[in-house]
Amino acid sequence: MATLNLKQVEKTYAHGYKAIHGINLEIADGEFAVLVGPSGCGKSTLLRMIAGLETISTGDISIEDRVVNTIAPADRDIAMVFQNYALYPHMSNYANMAYGLKNRGYSKVEIDRRVREAGTILQLTELLDRKPRQLSGGQRQRVAMGRAIVREPKVFLFDEPLSNLDAKLRVDMRLEIKNLQQRLGTTSVYVTHDQVEAMTLADRLIVMNGGVAEQIGSPIDIYNAPATQFVAGFIGSPSMNFLSGRVSNDRSHVVLTDGTRLALDHNVAENRDVIVGIRPEHLSITTPTSSSIAAKVRITESLGAETLVYLTFGSKNEAITLRMQGTHKYAAGDELTLYSNPAQIHLFDQASGRRI
Amino acid sequence: MYQSKWRSLTNHIILILGSLFMIMPVWIAFASSTHTREFLFQNGLQFMPGGHFFDNYGKILFDQSATKGRVTALQMLFNSMVLGLGFAIGKVIISMMAAYAIVYFRFRLAMPLFWVIFATLLLPLEVRIVPSYEVVAKLGLLNSYTGLILPLIASATGTFFFRQFYRSVPDELLEAARLDGAGPWRFFIDILVPLSVTMIAAIFIIMFVVGWNQYLWPLLMTTDDQLYTIVIGIKQVYNSLYEGGQIPQFPKAFALTIMASIPPVLVVVIFQRMFIRGLVETEK
Repeated sequence: MATLNLKQVEKTYAHGYKAIHGINLEIADGEFAVLVGPSGCGKSTLLRMIAGLETISTGDISIEDRVVNTIAPADRDIAMVFQNYALYPHMSNYANMAYGLKNRGYSKVEIDRRVREAGTILQLTELLDRKPRQLSGGQRQRVAMGRAIVREPKVFLFDEPLSNLDAKLRVDMRLEIKNLQQRLGTTSVYVTHDQVEAMTLADRLIVMNGGVAEQIGSPIDIYNAPATQFVAGFIGSPSMNFLSGRVSNDRSHVVLTDGTRLALDHNVAENRDVIVGIRPEHLSITTPTSSSIAAKVRITESLGAETLVYLTFGSKNEAITLRMQGTHKYAAGDELTLYSNPAQIHLFDQASGRRI
Repeated sequence: MYQSKWRSLTNHIILILGSLFMIMPVWIAFASSTHTREFLFQNGLQFMPGGHFFDNYGKILFDQSATKGRVTALQMLFNSMVLGLGFAIGKVIISMMAAYAIVYFRFRLAMPLFWVIFATLLLPLEVRIVPSYEVVAKLGLLNSYTGLILPLIASATGTFFFRQFYRSVPDELLEAARLDGAGPWRFFIDILVPLSVTMIAAIFIIMFVVGWNQYLWPLLMTTDDQLYTIVIGIKQVYNSLYEGGQIPQFPKAFALTIMASIPPVLVVVIFQRMFIRGLVETEK
């Protein structure tokens, strides 16, 4: 159990590329933090810096008030789970889990106790004598987690551990990881590019983009009040709709490119160029009013429980997605009138992308 | 069906003819080695085995007077075994460690050094044999197993193959081992070596056969009969055959040839199994 602190952490590679631009982060004892972002955003690099597999250019990383910048990975009291499991193929699952303990000089009895215990927790008892290749993907990932658990580390690090699994297994393992972490209460940092994983697992979400932490907060806070247009587009599925517009003189509404007016209750300067963000689930079909959007249906996707309707809007053919409960049928070219509650409209600055 | 039957028949005929073509000389050598020298001298090479198998092979294996006079075939087989094993094992160990250094340690000039090693592939033993001899002679290692083996065990081929293999091992394994507290030495012994078993078997087979068949180097290195390898022994037997106006001892020379070819065949057969099993089982 421990806290994990990152203070102004930066990473610049030898050839000059700056992968991480000054990240500050405090992860509380027992907290489950998720780093999420598109590929190349630096989330894995950051995790590997915490693990000690990458050096830190400037700043400090400390685990339980001990600065670990120059401490070897093995001595940081952390354990990591890799995307491709990274199990030693020639060793039995038991030996895989025991290897780290063996290297640290634990007694055979203690090693056996810990491995058996982890085996029980992860339902691997019958598989301990087999080799990793005799297991399915999910089982292998459980062994990899077992290898982390037996160490009883201060911090767990997960590097996209579910990316190699099929969709159904991913959901099961997600629950298992959440369960396990709550049961053990170990501080964890989890890297993923999958926003559903991020939303469901995180106590705290760190949305990264281009080596910068765009927003840090609880998943629901981030969903409800994304700090930037990037975060708004990244969190939530399907993505938030973005339409460009301009705030009217009396600040009561925003004028979209084709002249459509949407009512606002934001406190925003008049005549300001903004990006209007509306989540697909916050749009509904209505009769034409003074604050509604008229759009043409392009494609409909029926998922059974819900229907996704892809529409185009205005002279610039801006794309809008609508998410509806239940099954609906529309033909391409149908005109729909959409409405959103002003409270659920997000405004972003057109130049900086920051939330207004 | 009709046509494929014909095709399969012709395929088999070609293969059988090819096999016969390869096997025949060995068979003739074997058959001829089981006759008396007088019979062979009068009647030429034989297709059918004669009745002197135990007589000829026993003499050449255990009786010093049957060869040149001072060394038995058994001793020569032993010498060849020492050379072959030392050569193969030495090469495997040296090249594994060299490749490990090149792939896993970032040190200055790693790449140039690798290319220097690689370039030595272009220089066969014959090119550097005089300086090598000079060095070994100055070290006082002539007529010793050490002198016979040591100058040959640096292997560019082996280093290259192990380098390619190590590069295919996922980095995550190294990282996992680092997190598990394994230092460079532990990682090498515990992870890399077990993963390389297939590769080791392959290189061992090739190198053992190469080492066993070394001719020029042992010929230069050894003046003491007791250190003759069997490949040199064959030549020596031929030489001695003509001395003193006796009837040439062709059967014994053939017997020696047959014996010289058995250990490499055994090594290939035995390690081939391991090699294939390794191929099937290893998964990275």
